[in-house]
Amino acid sequence: MSTATIQDSSRARRSRGGSAPRPPVGAAPLERSRRRMFWAFTAPAVLVYFVLFLVPVGYAAWTSLYKWDGIGPKKWKGLKNYQTLWQDPTFRHSLTNTLKILVVGGVLTFAFAFALMLILREMNRKLFARSVLFFPCLVNAMVFGIAAGILFSPTGPVDKILEALGWSHPPQWLATQHLSTMILGTLIWTATGYYSAILMAAVDQIPEYLYEAAELDGANAFQRFRHVTLPMCWDVISVCAVLWTVSSVKIFELILMYGGSSGSQPPAGSWNTAMYVYTEAFPTASTPQLGLATAAALVSLFMVIIFTVVLRRLLRRDPIEY
Amino acid sequence: MTPRRKARSLPMRIATGVVWVVVAADIVLVGWILLTSLRSGTDILNHPFGVPTHPKFSNYSKVFSDGGFGQAALNSVLVAVLSSVLAVAVAAPCAYALARRRNRVSGAMSMTFAMGLGVPGQVMVVPLFIGMAKVNLDDSQPGLILVYLGLAMPFTVYLLTGFFSGIPQVLEEAAVLDGAGAVRTFTRVILPVARGGLVTAFLLQFISAWNETLFAIVLTHSQDKVTLPVALSDFVQEAQLNGLDWGAMFAGVCVVLAPMIALFSWLGSRIIQGMTVGIGK
Repeated sequence: MSTATIQDSSRARRSRGGSAPRPPVGAAPLERSRRRMFWAFTAPAVLVYFVLFLVPVGYAAWTSLYKWDGIGPKKWKGLKNYQTLWQDPTFRHSLTNTLKILVVGGVLTFAFAFALMLILREMNRKLFARSVLFFPCLVNAMVFGIAAGILFSPTGPVDKILEALGWSHPPQWLATQHLSTMILGTLIWTATGYYSAILMAAVDQIPEYLYEAAELDGANAFQRFRHVTLPMCWDVISVCAVLWTVSSVKIFELILMYGGSSGSQPPAGSWNTAMYVYTEAFPTASTPQLGLATAAALVSLFMVIIFTVVLRRLLRRDPIEY
Repeated sequence: MTPRRKARSLPMRIATGVVWVVVAADIVLVGWILLTSLRSGTDILNHPFGVPTHPKFSNYSKVFSDGGFGQAALNSVLVAVLSSVLAVAVAAPCAYALARRRNRVSGAMSMTFAMGLGVPGQVMVVPLFIGMAKVNLDDSQPGLILVYLGLAMPFTVYLLTGFFSGIPQVLEEAAVLDGAGAVRTFTRVILPVARGGLVTAFLLQFISAWNETLFAIVLTHSQDKVTLPVALSDFVQEAQLNGLDWGAMFAGVCVVLAPMIALFSWLGSRIIQGMTVGIGK
């Protein structure tokens, strides 16, 4: 990131130089047309982004201060909605689940992804293996949620295999108290392939001569990993960490459909904040609580912001040029 | 290969074995889902490992007729293709301008787009639902397409800015010296060179629109408007009332899954590249 900023400022100086009295020959007409076209080129995207993205976010923040069913008049609540959320055990549980997915899921996914990346690099036919392990992240998570309903049912394939291996009383995988753990496991399985592919792409760009130099200096495999691989892909690791934060907070369809045979709503024990927002805003039986729902959504946004800022601080390193 | 690779240690050999087992399990899982979609519900429950000796294609006709999957598949294709084409068309000029013009304004603009990457979808779901109802675009394909277009902006602009930065400036300088204007330079010189990046951006957006569930569930509900994930979730919920037909449910799952398998076997390396190298830039 920091390297990009340095390049930016040098380019910015060059473009500002374009408006100076004596522009460099050849660059002047280009500069002039660019300045004129900059706004024409960016306007459509900026407009779309403003109307369909930024305004909704602002509107959500505003709605979160009211009590509103979506039809009648809005009633001012101020920050009381957030207080109500904090006192609601269902929301606290959803928040805990979200944090569990974010932190526990994140640590495990990264540990697995790193290990997988290191193993894949030494493997024959690694591209094939990488493709297969990558694929699950392209599939709607509902697919795996529904498949799990049969796979882990008491008469399903998993229990049959375990029985054949001598484990006659496997746990009730799909019981309500195990649901959030199962969801976490499924999530880690789908994400590991993706993140290890990102790490692999980063590691592939490390020049071979660094490893050769390290080997000549007598570094063993672990030291080569610690002093070459890790520092060289640090930037990508920090991007991945931020990416994981956002994508783990917005998981929805996996929880909605897990097991495939739950009631009209999944049991509250497995909810995360996204699920909580959905059930509060679009309930099947009761009146919608749009103020409360948007407040819950804003809490998840604050969570992403806090985690992103902290992670970027923690993971900041001096950029390495090569 | 390097001699290092031949002399593999025992732990490494075990680790490699474990990875291959997981790879095999993934393939078996997908194959099992595909095969199960051709079996009857009772057969699945009694013999989870069975192979369909008499393939039951009626599972598919059931989801297509009763579950409305035919219409939903058409809707999914329409919404995903149109929203992705629009997203790339709107984002590409902006990303190009941001990649080429580096000053305070463009820096702030890039930053604002990048900040959008951090906003989880549930924040916008209520406002967009209210807003689309206000302009009578709720429960309609144009409404869903617009919503996906807006959601796609941060990532598509971010991804394409990276691609355009990688295209050497010399190209435009030559075009301008030949007397081409900025628009002409962009459409005639830059876009053909950036075609790979545009296709990747389209693909990634198509995949996420194809799989998107939260907004689709909230914004569409009539049988002729829903996309596949909504049709699937409706089908599952209805099945709970009428008794589960696992065979038909797996057929529904396959309608969602199969196009991704096809797309990935065709353009897999391009998708992986876009989602890995493109991210790190």
